[in-house]
Amino acid sequence: MKRTSFLLIIAVAAVFTANLAAPSAGAETITVQLWSRADRSGPDRAGNIVRAAALLNKQFRAAGVETRVAVEVHENNARGYDGDALALLKAFAVGRGPDLFVAAHEWVGEFAEAGYAMDLEAHIEDHPEYYGDIIPALWEAVRYKGRRYAIPQDSEVRMLFFNKEMLRRAGKDDAFIDSLPARVDRGEVTIWDLSRLAKELVDGGIAKYGILHRPNVGPDFLMTFAAFGMRFADPTSGKLLLETGPLGEALRWFAWNAENGVTPRNNTSMSWDAVKRSWYDGRTFIFHNGVWNVPEQIRAGWPGEEAAYFRRAGWMHVPPSKLGGNPANLSHPIVYCINPNSPRRALAATLAGIASLHYFNTIHAVRTFHTAINHGQAAMPAYRDHWALAAATPLLARASFMPNHPLFGRYNAILFKGLQGVELGRLTPEEGVEFITDEMAFELGEEVIVR
Amino acid sequence: MRARRRADLVLFLGPACVLLLLFYVVPVVADIAIAFSDMGRTLQMTEATTRNFERLFAGDRRLTEVASVTLLYVFGTLALFNVTYGLLLALMTTAVHPRAGAFFRTVWLLPRMSPSVVYALLWAWTIDPTETGLLNQVLHGALGLPLIDWMNDSPLLLIVFVNGFVGASMGMIIFTSAIRAIPDHLFHAARADGAGGLAIVRHVILPSIRWPLSFVTIYQTLSLLVSFEYIWLVTNGGPFYDTMVYALYVYKRAFESGFYAYGAAMALVLVAVGAVAALAMWRFMDMRALMQRPRIEVH
Repeated sequence: MKRTSFLLIIAVAAVFTANLAAPSAGAETITVQLWSRADRSGPDRAGNIVRAAALLNKQFRAAGVETRVAVEVHENNARGYDGDALALLKAFAVGRGPDLFVAAHEWVGEFAEAGYAMDLEAHIEDHPEYYGDIIPALWEAVRYKGRRYAIPQDSEVRMLFFNKEMLRRAGKDDAFIDSLPARVDRGEVTIWDLSRLAKELVDGGIAKYGILHRPNVGPDFLMTFAAFGMRFADPTSGKLLLETGPLGEALRWFAWNAENGVTPRNNTSMSWDAVKRSWYDGRTFIFHNGVWNVPEQIRAGWPGEEAAYFRRAGWMHVPPSKLGGNPANLSHPIVYCINPNSPRRALAATLAGIASLHYFNTIHAVRTFHTAINHGQAAMPAYRDHWALAAATPLLARASFMPNHPLFGRYNAILFKGLQGVELGRLTPEEGVEFITDEMAFELGEEVIVR
Repeated sequence: MRARRRADLVLFLGPACVLLLLFYVVPVVADIAIAFSDMGRTLQMTEATTRNFERLFAGDRRLTEVASVTLLYVFGTLALFNVTYGLLLALMTTAVHPRAGAFFRTVWLLPRMSPSVVYALLWAWTIDPTETGLLNQVLHGALGLPLIDWMNDSPLLLIVFVNGFVGASMGMIIFTSAIRAIPDHLFHAARADGAGGLAIVRHVILPSIRWPLSFVTIYQTLSLLVSFEYIWLVTNGGPFYDTMVYALYVYKRAFESGFYAYGAAMALVLVAVGAVAALAMWRFMDMRALMQRPRIEVH
């Protein structure tokens, strides 16, 4: 709430300064409309566009140009990026689309296909001053049918947080505890080993919950499915892919956790607050979330200093399902898209370009614990001295992205519904596979290949 | 005289007809148009098709489960709360001192007067499966019973209670006014004949409020069939599909999945089911006889 208010204040300030700085009666103010989801973990996604407009206005003033740029921010209160994208599609359909919008990268394909996201290849090529240092892997997240339709706004690291103190109470030595993330990285610890360790702690009364995950649909589960070797898109046809073998194995893992008290059966009907609180209060051994949650942990009483924090908590990838396998991680970049039909599209793209510069993106990164989009940000003092980001960045090495398929949001939602049914005990893992296959065939039709 | 009659018709029937046209006929026509199209997430229609109905009747395997949840929810809420408990509340609050009766009726009206989100949040707190939930504070904290998780253990019963606490008040108000409209001399005569409380209810009150009873049953059936607001807010149709009533299923397919045309086809079925159910109950309860013109007209 505070951040939303802050955003409003800077938006108003930008408009105000724009007006103040326009002494002549004939001065023109160009208003760029920005659509952004109201998200407590990223108020600077919109804020940086407002700052970019303020910078432009300063430059205009210095050059004696009377034109001013104002940004009108529409913050949508959808629960997640899927709901936000559907609302935005409706806004476009009735001719009320914004000039510039913030979206989750997997929606780029849908917006591009509908003609609502501009092909930015030429813009990106023309402006190396904005985009010349962007981490190349991030461009993959905005590519659809070989062309770039968005600009990466951030990247992030997701991980399994684990409580080291619980392991100490269970008699594990520091060498075992501290080496756990590295052994996961080398494929020496499997996801099943982790479940058995969690069960040991639950059975011993040390942890109330062995493993807790988010209660609603989201990218985290894809990391788990990927750890079982599941791929989500067919590289040759570009269609979505459902591999029933790894899917069944993953569902058996969720079922085992629920049957053995490692994950509560009602994890998907718990509130976010209850899930997070049990990690903050030291009742959960493993909590699947992302680096942006660290500030909340610190506010809830976890140490804010690096050494003390890592004495109590550790971070790891989702371990592979078999010894020697690859652990999984997933980054979910948020992006800026430009409306190709807007008369202010060039200006909107310029604002997105300025907002992508190191200085502005670092404001977002350090305030909300998101990883950088430019290589050079790592050398900036504010970023370099940010211990959580420094510690999280190496995890990006294992990161993959969701496919930019227009129907991936539905694919992910159906996977979630199936695993929810299995975890609750309403479906066996085999029935879960059948449910997911059936729902995907029904909703996605020929856009999904089932193997 | 004819002009006067015409003016009366326009004056008395006109507003109702306009409302019916705007809020029933026009939406139904729009719904039919969308149901026979391919409208998807971008709201564009490119072809006319019957594919949505083929999918609905041949392809949607969740439908049987959703239909049975809906039937249990509608008739469970009606039977436990909207009619039965509403009647019970009316009987009890008219039997006690008028002030006490008014007080209890006001208490039972509170859920209906509360904003639905506030009401749903209170329920979310009440049924929270951890030690912080109100029910668990009482049952687990004070009485030492094991923690309960109502949402997962009896989700259908939960949504019946959530809707019933709101729904009972409407029946209560209508039945209360109907009971109060029964002439006092009928009660006196029954007492003089030695009738006890239950006999008065059975032989005096119930026959006198047959019309409101039938009306509330029909109205609430239709209302429950299409409402999902509280279910959406409290359980969101879950866990899994345990509380997925048909109207919520339509909403989710249309607005969460973005299959607007398919949602419109499903909604059309709901319109048809609602119309058939209303006509069947109208006939079954002989509403025509109950609504006939009075035989004596006082001028």
